[in-house]
Amino acid sequence: MRRITNIIFKIILCILTGVTLAALAFVIIFIVKEALPTFNDVSVHEFLFTNEWMPVEGIGSGARFGIFNFIAATVYVSFLAMLIAIVIGIGAALYLSCVATDRIRGIMYPFVDLLAGIPSVVYGFIGLTVIVRLFLKVGVHTGVCVLAAAILLAIMLLPYLISSCSETLLKNKEAYLRAGNALGVDAWYTISTVILPASWKNILTAMILAIGRAMGETMAVMMVIGNANLFPTLLGKSESIAAVIALEMGTAVNGSTHFHALYAAGLVLIVLLFIINVGINMIRNKLL
Amino acid sequence: MHIRGLFTKIWAYTGIIVVSVVIVFLFAFVFWKGGSTITWEFLSTPPAGLVLGSEGGILPAITGSLAFTLTAIVIGAVPAISTALYLVFFCKSRRMESMIHLVIQCIAGIPSIVLGLFSYSLFVRDLNFGRCILSSGIALGIMVLPFIEVRAEKTFRELNPAMIQSAYALGCNKTHTILTVVLPACRGELFSGIILGGCYAMGATAPMIFTGAVAFASNPTSLFEPAMALPLHLYLLVAQGHTSLDMAYGTAFVMMAVILISNVLVTMYARRRQREWKQ
Repeated sequence: MRRITNIIFKIILCILTGVTLAALAFVIIFIVKEALPTFNDVSVHEFLFTNEWMPVEGIGSGARFGIFNFIAATVYVSFLAMLIAIVIGIGAALYLSCVATDRIRGIMYPFVDLLAGIPSVVYGFIGLTVIVRLFLKVGVHTGVCVLAAAILLAIMLLPYLISSCSETLLKNKEAYLRAGNALGVDAWYTISTVILPASWKNILTAMILAIGRAMGETMAVMMVIGNANLFPTLLGKSESIAAVIALEMGTAVNGSTHFHALYAAGLVLIVLLFIINVGINMIRNKLL
Repeated sequence: MHIRGLFTKIWAYTGIIVVSVVIVFLFAFVFWKGGSTITWEFLSTPPAGLVLGSEGGILPAITGSLAFTLTAIVIGAVPAISTALYLVFFCKSRRMESMIHLVIQCIAGIPSIVLGLFSYSLFVRDLNFGRCILSSGIALGIMVLPFIEVRAEKTFRELNPAMIQSAYALGCNKTHTILTVVLPACRGELFSGIILGGCYAMGATAPMIFTGAVAFASNPTSLFEPAMALPLHLYLLVAQGHTSLDMAYGTAFVMMAVILISNVLVTMYARRRQREWKQ
């Protein structure tokens, strides 16, 4: 009897694990299936590298589907956010790993994790009421711009960067700081010349994970980036891939090229993430 | 002191100060602005007004969000915890293990908006569920699956091996060990993971905008009807502009309060468990 329950239990676990694996397969199959009809009407090259997006046929001109600006905006805003976040994040991680006592660390980790829990709409809302208004006062037209979105995204990335960076730094501190002290080297000098360089490889891994989050983020970016099909500039409006999908999915006619083009945009987003993952991994393995 | 060391020191202190100020500001700002809107009436009546939501409350959004979150947790947590159990206790081949890990990582990497697209084409359209709580719940469930799996697996692996070995030594098989030793011992951590996963699902808007969340609905009564959700309600209030701004602050207040309370509870619980282990 026991043996039978054991086998049944194991089979149930196997099936449920299978469900997990199948979920990924299903998602990818369906996105690809819905995306492919786009390329009956638009060539892949035109879709990726032109920048006119007119999903509905206008007077005297056909519908056009070119998402180059959206791709550029997604990459631009993500990397900008990453840059801001990594500067602040490494600083905070240095403090948490090398200065803070166990007690302070026990309070600060959950405190920083709070950032990860805040819904992205709330970020977008605060972005609109605080950051955008600030930009407006400084003199940016309408206030909404790529930089505002990047600042907001940077705050959203902070908890992921800080937790993984401080983990690595902590490990390296335990390995090297005592040796540095024994040699009579100033602690901060050891940190900057030994502990930080030793951690770069893992910090790069943390950056990969964070950039994935940044590129897929929809609501917060959509609310402050301005949503205009323009090539991204620091203080200009633009529109990310995720924002296009979220804004236009409701109005796209089921089965039209527009509808399929939005799926294709989603597919491009996944492929983009994949390329960046592999790219950063290769750089990491080559350089370090 | 060497200039490089000094620079690093300044970097560290600036970093942590900026982060702390940002966190305190975010919560203080929402609680300060939204505090005056929160009344019993706001929490217990449906939205009303000429421009919907400019008067009245957010009750259907609260119940709707609850329905979405519970559906997502049920759909996401069961396979997540099973996968973790399978990986830790049953999986014997290295290759299988690394493949499953890769799949979990890939799922974690899928942008939430793409999960919405997927759920729309499969459930809303092909299977004809229509826009409903279940369609969104599945998308949200897939979204929180890796989140819960990673935490569950970590918990199982950190479990004291002596406990499991003792169970085996007494002649218990794996199923019996898991059901009577492993799961009860990890109950708290699993709950923490599920609660945080629930917060994550509650705050996500992108997967539900075109799969189940709508601008106005009554309290949800079945899985096959659309419902309101707090994050979408907030987004729509903000999109309406100035007339609904107070209500928007109130809605944000409710979400931030939920996040703060569940995080504090989870942290306090983990703290207590740690102390128990040390004794």
